[in-house]
Amino acid sequence: MNASAHSIPHDHDHHDAHGHDDGHGHGHITLQYQPGLPLSRGKLIMWLFLSTEIMFFAALLGSYVVLRFGASVWPKPHHVHLSEPIGAFNTFVLICSSVTIVLALEAARANKASVAKMWMLLTLLLGSLFLGVKAYEYAAKFSHGIYPARPHSRIYERPDLYYGSAVRARLDELRKVPVASVPAVLRDASTDSAAKAGDTVDVLKRLDDVSADKLTAEQQAARGRLQQLQKMVANPDQQMFDMAVVADQVMPLATEGADHGGGHGGGHGLNDTFPWLRLPAVIPGGNMWASTYFLLTGFHAIHVAVGLLVFAIMLTWKLDAKRAGGIENAGLYWHFVDLVWIFLFPLMYLF
Amino acid sequence: MSDHHDPAAAHGPVTRPGPLHADDHAAAHESGHHGGAGGHDAHESHGGIGKYMAVFAALCVLTTMSFFTYSSLWPWRDQPQVGWAFMMAVSCTKALLVVLFFMHVLWEANWKYVLTIPAAMMAIFLALMLVPDVGLRNRMVSQERALHMARPSDVQLLEQAGRAGLLAEPPH
Repeated sequence: MNASAHSIPHDHDHHDAHGHDDGHGHGHITLQYQPGLPLSRGKLIMWLFLSTEIMFFAALLGSYVVLRFGASVWPKPHHVHLSEPIGAFNTFVLICSSVTIVLALEAARANKASVAKMWMLLTLLLGSLFLGVKAYEYAAKFSHGIYPARPHSRIYERPDLYYGSAVRARLDELRKVPVASVPAVLRDASTDSAAKAGDTVDVLKRLDDVSADKLTAEQQAARGRLQQLQKMVANPDQQMFDMAVVADQVMPLATEGADHGGGHGGGHGLNDTFPWLRLPAVIPGGNMWASTYFLLTGFHAIHVAVGLLVFAIMLTWKLDAKRAGGIENAGLYWHFVDLVWIFLFPLMYLF
Repeated sequence: MSDHHDPAAAHGPVTRPGPLHADDHAAAHESGHHGGAGGHDAHESHGGIGKYMAVFAALCVLTTMSFFTYSSLWPWRDQPQVGWAFMMAVSCTKALLVVLFFMHVLWEANWKYVLTIPAAMMAIFLALMLVPDVGLRNRMVSQERALHMARPSDVQLLEQAGRAGLLAEPPH
């Protein structure tokens, strides 16, 4: 037996590849294949990556839920100018894009490269539409002074004395506005053209002095309310209710349904009528809300953007059966991004 | 060729007599390659456009269902907890549909459990571990913090102010 085993080494390939069998002492070569996972390496890596992503978003969503239910006050979606129909529309867009990327994979497996490319292009467009709507929503938040942090954020938690002094400070700023930043309605061609670089303008006084025919009816009424408000904030013994009245005049807590069709509408607050005022506003619980909203939707938007980049690169390829593995992996990632939004939408817009 | 596809037959017993060895190795090699490719191809016949469209329709219906909690027809508007439980059930169903059909997990081998179950358990533990410190943070707060914290009465105050308007109409 040994002799016959020793006669084998003339077959170099087999000897080199299975030399470890010598230790068994049987004297002949046996093969011991280790069964691997029944999936390609790329897919294995993608799934490992996705399991880390599950934990990443679980940490974010879990923190959100725990923060939200641990908070003494959490703003209603309409208080922070969230539009539920827009959120539902974006959910629909992402679901559609999940379907199109699945169809791209099916087409690639059937070796229909041009059909696969068409579906992938559609996925790219739907993903871009999602990001576009998201950008529009972010702009609506920014226009209401809702930012994740100071100095851009103008959100105060309570209508208290600290809020009153913040309003007073902003009104003082408005009395010393650089000439170049004066809002268009209040420009005065005769004096502003002669102004030097460092000159400032009291825009509140300009607003008081500007002739009524330059203003709309709404702006005229708002001008009167602003004068009233200045007196209330200047009063040294302001009560909490007075400050609540001031906060309500600056930016009222929107009632449900007031923001239909865009998240811009609803308010008849002074900040809405005169956007250049940018007075501090009160949204109880608004700061924590803004932090979690921008963190969660921001990370999700980054994931969408990465997915779009991958699709854009893949669109330069010939998407035939040889590329099916790559499309499958990109698709797995994209479905995961869709999955995160499936939880984000109700948690953010409907809770 | 048919026995080449059977890994057990290809490996063969260790004590088989010598003369067959060379053939045996060739067979094992071949079956190894075929096995790998076969495993990869196995799930590709599943799915199908009809099935994907059915899942898509189900996802659209489920999204409409969770959006329904926002409409005025939703009967439990005074008990938000009912809506929350309903929406989470709907979201889990949607997630399951996406994972099983779009991500083809329904047709994958058992490795899917190795990767998804521990990650899902970690995710749940992670959220639970946040509860004592973060979730219950407002049970015990310092006086100073309580002073600056929003409270439900602030919302009522703002709503009252909204109804009152400016106390005196401005002079014209």
